Amino acid sequence: MTAALTVSGMSKSFAGPRVLDGVSLSIEPGEIRALVGENGSGKSTLIKILAGFHLPDEGSAEVDGQPLHLGDGAASEALGLRFVHQDLGLVNNLDAVDNLALGVGYSSFRGGIRWRQERKQARKALAELGYHFDVRQTVDRLAMSERTAVAVARAMGPRQIAPKVLILDEPTANLPAAEAERLFALARRVADSGVAVVFVSHHFDEVFGLAQSVTVLRDGKLVITRPVAGLTEDGLIELVIGRQLEQVERDAKAAERRAVVLEAEGLGCAVLDNVDFAVHAGEIVGVAGITGSGRDEVARALFGGLDRTGEVKVNGAAVPPMRPDKAMGMGMGLVPAERHANAAFMASTLRENVTVVRPGIHWKGGILRKSPERADVAKWLERLDVRPRKPEFAMADLSGGNQQKVVLARWLRLEPKVLVLDEPTQGVDVGAKSDIHKLVDEAAAQGTAVLVASTDHEELVRLCHRVLVFRRGRIADEISGGRMDHDVITAATIGRDQAGAA
Amino acid sequence: MTVDKQTTSEPDIERPAGGQPGQRRRRLSVILGFDRFSGLYVWAALILIFSLWVPSLFDTANNARIIAGSQAITAIVAMGLIVPVACGAFDLSIAGTLGVACCTVVWFQANHHGWFLGIIVALLVGLVVGLVNSLIVVRLHVDSFIGTLGMSSILLAGTEWITGGGQIANGISPTFTAIGQNQVLGLPLPVFYMVALAIVLWWLLEYTPVGRYLYGIGGNPQAARLAGIRVGRITTGAFLLSGLVAAFAGVILAAQIGSASPDVGGPYLLPAFSAVFLGATQVFPGRVNVPGTLIAIFLLATGVKGLQLAGAPAYINDLFNGAALIIAVALAARAYASQRKA
Repeated sequence: MTAALTVSGMSKSFAGPRVLDGVSLSIEPGEIRALVGENGSGKSTLIKILAGFHLPDEGSAEVDGQPLHLGDGAASEALGLRFVHQDLGLVNNLDAVDNLALGVGYSSFRGGIRWRQERKQARKALAELGYHFDVRQTVDRLAMSERTAVAVARAMGPRQIAPKVLILDEPTANLPAAEAERLFALARRVADSGVAVVFVSHHFDEVFGLAQSVTVLRDGKLVITRPVAGLTEDGLIELVIGRQLEQVERDAKAAERRAVVLEAEGLGCAVLDNVDFAVHAGEIVGVAGITGSGRDEVARALFGGLDRTGEVKVNGAAVPPMRPDKAMGMGMGLVPAERHANAAFMASTLRENVTVVRPGIHWKGGILRKSPERADVAKWLERLDVRPRKPEFAMADLSGGNQQKVVLARWLRLEPKVLVLDEPTQGVDVGAKSDIHKLVDEAAAQGTAVLVASTDHEELVRLCHRVLVFRRGRIADEISGGRMDHDVITAATIGRDQAGAA
Repeated sequence: MTVDKQTTSEPDIERPAGGQPGQRRRRLSVILGFDRFSGLYVWAALILIFSLWVPSLFDTANNARIIAGSQAITAIVAMGLIVPVACGAFDLSIAGTLGVACCTVVWFQANHHGWFLGIIVALLVGLVVGLVNSLIVVRLHVDSFIGTLGMSSILLAGTEWITGGGQIANGISPTFTAIGQNQVLGLPLPVFYMVALAIVLWWLLEYTPVGRYLYGIGGNPQAARLAGIRVGRITTGAFLLSGLVAAFAGVILAAQIGSASPDVGGPYLLPAFSAVFLGATQVFPGRVNVPGTLIAIFLLATGVKGLQLAGAPAYINDLFNGAALIIAVALAARAYASQRKA
């Protein structure tokens, strides 16, 4: 039987080390294959090459025996490769019928669209996947698994050639556990119809519950392709990170247990579910987790950027939800992720960016005194080694690392009791990253309670006394002391989910 | 983890005199402030041209006084508009508010309720309009452009109702008209009101925390929220202010012309917007500001007056203002884009 997909010797580098190095694999029709690997292992690059988004340096691919013309999205589709990316690619204010037609067209169009016929076809396509819902509803009203079904139905829909391989990128990343099961059933149905299914995943319950075989990539190279049967969870972790987990003897930072400054009780958000934790004065606590775990919500939920349930207390006083001004008044500061969207006033000067949180400090005699303000800001730019050290420059003129330092200066200047950092060195160069870490250490040394949410596990190891690992909205593990290690954290974030665990 | 690409700015490069943020090369044009004060240069050029073209009519102190007096109302309305625009909201109802306030204060006098009470009620109307606008924009999350556009239509209906469809000109007290028509140092009083308002607003925008918050919200509303700025409250204040100032302008207009008619406010809308957006390219480029707006107003007025004296037909006013608005927004978009490297 001809393989549905064959990849041979695929390699790619982006101005430097090889991101993908001689990867070969093959998948049979009807097979369900999991593609597993850490961030940076090369799996997204491989997917993008197959989708025609990148041109590889070396390598070739065949779909159902036909050579694939690489670097051309239309060619990939024409041979039967279909993709469902993580964001699904749906238009939320259109209904399922229109979404199925996106990029494909309406088959009943002969001078006018025959809507009844279209709806019937849409219902049929969804029923084949095991889904029955009102196709006239706008997609934003559907449950996440139903939306995924629409995306899969569109991918599987009739084009010039029938689909041969369906590639799903992190299909359950945004799904609650209950709906993931429905998706598994969908994937099995697709595979039963003779289509090869490849899914990229970090979730072990998908690998063990759905896949028949698994391909593991590490550092751009193929580690192994093997059947799932007979593989243990520890065995898979070992394949992903490359060694056995040992208890690493480290001189871990011991937290002097001082008073509790920040408390969260029953914290809930879109994904977060009934989470409790506390941070002590002078302690640096990390928050780790993959997409969909709730890690990206914690920082904003605490500060009031996202609506939340539950209680948040600073030194025993409750902070009202959705009130960043109140959280600020109670001594909390937030350095948000994605500074361009959430923290930086690009058209404003550095001075304005630093003082925007409390301009009143230099209010005297009825006007803001700009000279003392400039001197104050210059002092902070000096302390944080921001370059260029000119308070009147526009924020847009600085490099990412320096911009991030300016945002940090904004909060350090207020001497907060609680400092919350969300991806603090995102898009920051190596030098500035190290500077920022030192500044966080200094803040903690002065008694600030620090919470750092990050996908950079090395950073968490460098900074934190302990790390809270989130999975599917709950704290699944706490890592400290001898276990503080990049690979331990990684393993914990992708470990098997326990349904209904407290 | 991606490594950030260094931007092209070098820390040690020479900055031009004036310390303009974002400038990288020291050109003669920058030293003379051609970009920041181009409006002043253009204005000077226009004065020169018209003085040569129609010398006997244009180059007189009287003419200057006439221009100043006629533009004072527009300038007041435009300055009131700066505040909501600074925080990212459009207020298209200012002309309607001006009209309703004008009609209100005249109606009160025509019906023997006194000009003082008329002024109080007119100003209150301005505040109420501002409040309703802010409820529509902040609470109902209606786009400010659409919301205030709808409001302006409602206000037009209001002026029709108050005036009964025609002009009111009776019962106006001379004490009242003195507010608008008296002269000090050869300049009509409204010019002084304009200057006083300019000083107050300049102080508000440049030298108070509220000013920082306004520009912050206008620059990045999401970041403003996460910096503890109370976006809803500040935006509400901005609408209240523009409503109040527009009403004030309406009162002064009534005093100036001694009458009110339903469409009295209309002609002030576009010039105010043109001036505010053209002003955003001057003095403090990239953001709407008071001195820039004033330069823009007098620049436009000088141009129009000069052309009228040279024999251009009456509609030159609309043509000039329309073209100015388009050019101003195009220039402003370029100024914003060059400062904000996405």
